[in-house]
Amino acid sequence: MSNVLTVRGLKKSYGAHAALAGIDFEVRAGEVFALIGPNGAGKTTTLRIAATLLTSTAGEITFLDRDLRKEPDFVREKISYLPEEAGAYKDMKGMDYLRFMAGFYGRDAGEEKEFVERAAAITELGNRLKTKVGTYSKGMTRKLLLARALMTRPVLAILDEPTSGLDVLNALDVREIIRRYVKEGTSVLLSSHNMLEIEFLSDRVGLIDKGRILDTGTPDELKAKHAAKNLEEVFRSSLR
Amino acid sequence: MKRFKNLLQKEVKELVTKQLVISLAFTVLLFNAIGQISKKEVQKAVGIQTISVLDQDGSEGSRALLKGLESARFKIVDQTGKGKDEALASAKAGESKLLLVVPAGFGDSLAELKPSEIETYSFMRSFSLIGARGQVVVQSVISALNETLSNNFLAAKLPGADPVSLKRPIKSRDFVVVRDRTAEGSAGLIAGMLSQQSMLIPIVLMMIVIYSSQMVISAVAMEKQNKTLETLLTVPIKRTSIITAKMFAAGLVGLISAGVYMFAFKGFIGGMGEEVAAAGARASGTALMQKLGLTFDTTGYLILGLSLFLAILVALAMAMILGVLAEDFRSAQNMIMPLMFMVMIPYFISLFADIDTLSLPVKILVLAIPFSHPFLVSQNIYLGHYGMIAAGLGYMLLVFIVLVIYAARIFSTDKILTMKLRFGKKKAPAA
Repeated sequence: MSNVLTVRGLKKSYGAHAALAGIDFEVRAGEVFALIGPNGAGKTTTLRIAATLLTSTAGEITFLDRDLRKEPDFVREKISYLPEEAGAYKDMKGMDYLRFMAGFYGRDAGEEKEFVERAAAITELGNRLKTKVGTYSKGMTRKLLLARALMTRPVLAILDEPTSGLDVLNALDVREIIRRYVKEGTSVLLSSHNMLEIEFLSDRVGLIDKGRILDTGTPDELKAKHAAKNLEEVFRSSLR
Repeated sequence: MKRFKNLLQKEVKELVTKQLVISLAFTVLLFNAIGQISKKEVQKAVGIQTISVLDQDGSEGSRALLKGLESARFKIVDQTGKGKDEALASAKAGESKLLLVVPAGFGDSLAELKPSEIETYSFMRSFSLIGARGQVVVQSVISALNETLSNNFLAAKLPGADPVSLKRPIKSRDFVVVRDRTAEGSAGLIAGMLSQQSMLIPIVLMMIVIYSSQMVISAVAMEKQNKTLETLLTVPIKRTSIITAKMFAAGLVGLISAGVYMFAFKGFIGGMGEEVAAAGARASGTALMQKLGLTFDTTGYLILGLSLFLAILVALAMAMILGVLAEDFRSAQNMIMPLMFMVMIPYFISLFADIDTLSLPVKILVLAIPFSHPFLVSQNIYLGHYGMIAAGLGYMLLVFIVLVIYAARIFSTDKILTMKLRFGKKKAPAA
């Protein structure tokens, strides 16, 4: 299986603080790769670098074998990024927001329409898409943003804590939507500190702490290696 | 281009809110209403005014004075026969703006050409300038009478001599020289008219700079507050296009808003100004300025327009950087302050002093502020200081290029997410 994203010796410092101390991992085509770790472990920084928002201090990161630092415009055409605390324009109607975002990706009006229709279906918001985003609940906004991220069927969707702050039912919906799109060919790099969610969603997992990858593998491999019942126990074992 | 248009449309829609439209409409209506009220008040002030007169003399001279006042459109309430206190009380209780007391012996003193006194009591029921206009007109009537009486006396005593020449043996003919042109007229009149004309430039500039800059700062700060900036920075559109779209939209909406405010302001000033303006003096001043070449030709207007345009671009680029520093919409409101000061410093200096005569360090400081140059451009055009104009335009262009490069650098690097102006508290970087 070829790599969509390859990360080698990636470092990122903010002054004296090293947010990433040299990490290696790869996201393969058609898989969900999850970074799990506690707050401040370096998950968001990694995702932001992969999404071309931040630049690395050292190391290599390639997307479809192209240097991400040298060709950010190429990368932005083919990825989508959902930040943890993302918002949408509150004065826009849901449908207008989707049209606005589709305007950046569609080659023509027909393709834009196709993206918007797909996104509308993902949100399952129906007529609420005709109302302003400012009136939406957190779950509705998150679904709208996830739909925006997936509507173009990106090569790589980078999702930071995709179910953060959602209730059980909304979180379940979001996970199912992600799985469905992976089946249709989108690769996913996501982060979470919810280990149970990761176990359900991910094909492979990277355990990250203090800017270092502690271990990588499928959930089953990791559980067997650490003789653990679940990923939480794997993580505790890795820290030791 | 399609992506740029998409973003530009969104930016303009975000800025043109219902609140903005209502606020603009309200301002136009309010300023026009105030202008109309002021106009009526001015008309009242320059129209027939009521004054009380206590003529204790009853001579030919006092009657001539009253006749002069009547011809100057005063309605006279005669208080003759009353004591001074009683006349004062009666005039005060009525509509009169002023009581004029002509004491006994006024006419005799005039006949003997001795100084004759009259007394005026102005009732200040308000402290507006228009309210005190009655006394000014009375003084001009007295001055005209003084002129006539002294002329009559001189004519009687020295027949054949010209009284006007006798009173003012030295006459001056005033000429104004500007560059290679000379014309007869008053330098004071020219200076007054030029300052009136150039007053408009700082007002227009301040309005546009403040509105446009506030909009750019808010546009960036709102992206941060609504947590939409990160998403926008990862969509396939060049970072320079994001900057340009935000600046262009804010510049456009700011320009339209400032235009509407200027229109409203003109309605307000027009209401007060038209009736009071000395139209004759203005006409002769305009002719004098034309003779001296102190008028703008097409090139002059183009240079002035270019100067204002560059100043706006500089302001927008500065606002873009300040917007990045703001954490949210509220802090964005404070970010406009440095820009306002930078426009206000040359504005106030140009009101009270001549930038050319300032001490060298202050002059350097003022010229270092890019917004000073549009203030100087009109007088430099009149005086033919094209080197100064070119230097000013070049300086503004240079500042704009440096600021845009810096803004683009901020938007293309981590700084867009990490650069913040915090007061006191420190925040840990993102995980």
